[in-house]
Amino acid sequence: MGVAELNLIDLQALTRGDKRTWDAFVVAAAPLINAVVRRTLSAYRLSEEDVMDAAQDVFVRLCAQDFRLLKTYDPARAGLPTWLSVVSRSCAIDHLRRRRQATEPIDDVPEAFLGVEDRHVEKLRIPDGLLTARQVLVLKYLYDEERDVTEVARLLSVDAQTIRSTHHKALLRLRAHFREEGPGDGG
Amino acid sequence: MNTQRTPRSDKELWRNLAIQSPVAPVSAPAAVSEMDLAAWLEGRLTEEAAGPIEAAVAADPALRRAALDLADILGKPLPAAPERMVVRARALVGFEAERTIASGGLFSRWLFGRSRHALQQGVMAVAAVVIAAGGFMVGGGLSESLARQGEGHSATETVSTTSTASNEVSEFFAGDGI
Repeated sequence: MGVAELNLIDLQALTRGDKRTWDAFVVAAAPLINAVVRRTLSAYRLSEEDVMDAAQDVFVRLCAQDFRLLKTYDPARAGLPTWLSVVSRSCAIDHLRRRRQATEPIDDVPEAFLGVEDRHVEKLRIPDGLLTARQVLVLKYLYDEERDVTEVARLLSVDAQTIRSTHHKALLRLRAHFREEGPGDGG
Repeated sequence: MNTQRTPRSDKELWRNLAIQSPVAPVSAPAAVSEMDLAAWLEGRLTEEAAGPIEAAVAADPALRRAALDLADILGKPLPAAPERMVVRARALVGFEAERTIASGGLFSRWLFGRSRHALQQGVMAVAAVVIAAGGFMVGGGLSESLARQGEGHSATETVSTTSTASNEVSEFFAGDGI
């Protein structure tokens, strides 16, 4: 069983607490939860035991209080793997916070976590209505995060050309705002 | 005098926006629910519904990175999870019988469950028969035992009486110097 099989899980049986369905769910979900937890905690140099505990936290959260969280999942809105990945990330961050609150010698904390980011990030203030939310998001990914167009396209489930187009339109608006000509406009 | 501005790079322009734009309070984007974020990641939202999510993601660097990470993870084959992780997670949910025992309600649930009413009645009838038979046997056994005890007691009493009488006679004769 793999992540794709997650969508085949009988959710009603799962939230009823059927043992066989739970076991099948665990087998299908474990690779995804494992991957998300590891990725989320990767920056903090935690032990394998921490990764295991954080993953277990995800499963505990899913079945706690008579599967309360799982019952909030709405298949009409998103696939189970996607929702589960978001939940797993939240759990991993909660685990990290709890762990750090408990006992953490300062020498064990990565410097990146303690210190202020090396890179200077501007606090952008964009006049209301100048850019759409998507245009701002695309510009932030391309410039602040320095991500590739294809990465952003994959995230937003569009093709790369659409991202280039969104980027271009956003810049046109920005240039108009600053009454400035673009570099390729013969200026 | 050259009044033509030097064209700036796109990135500079973006940065200038921060410097030159009027300082106005930026309203904090609303918190994004896990379900909303998942729906957005799958591109299932309308442009209108996606707007607040995209504004929230744009405003939060951690969320921006998380969105890219999750999209990346979901888009490729994943390595198997450690066996120990699977075993531990499976153990979180037991079979129904185990859960019932753990919750301490097995007998009451069995006793009062509607679906097993006929079975309960049968078992209760068998239990009643067993108890009655046991009681009968115990009762019979006791009677027999009491009867035996009674016989034993009479015999002892007879012997004891005889013995006492014998002693008394001996004493009588002894007392008379015979």
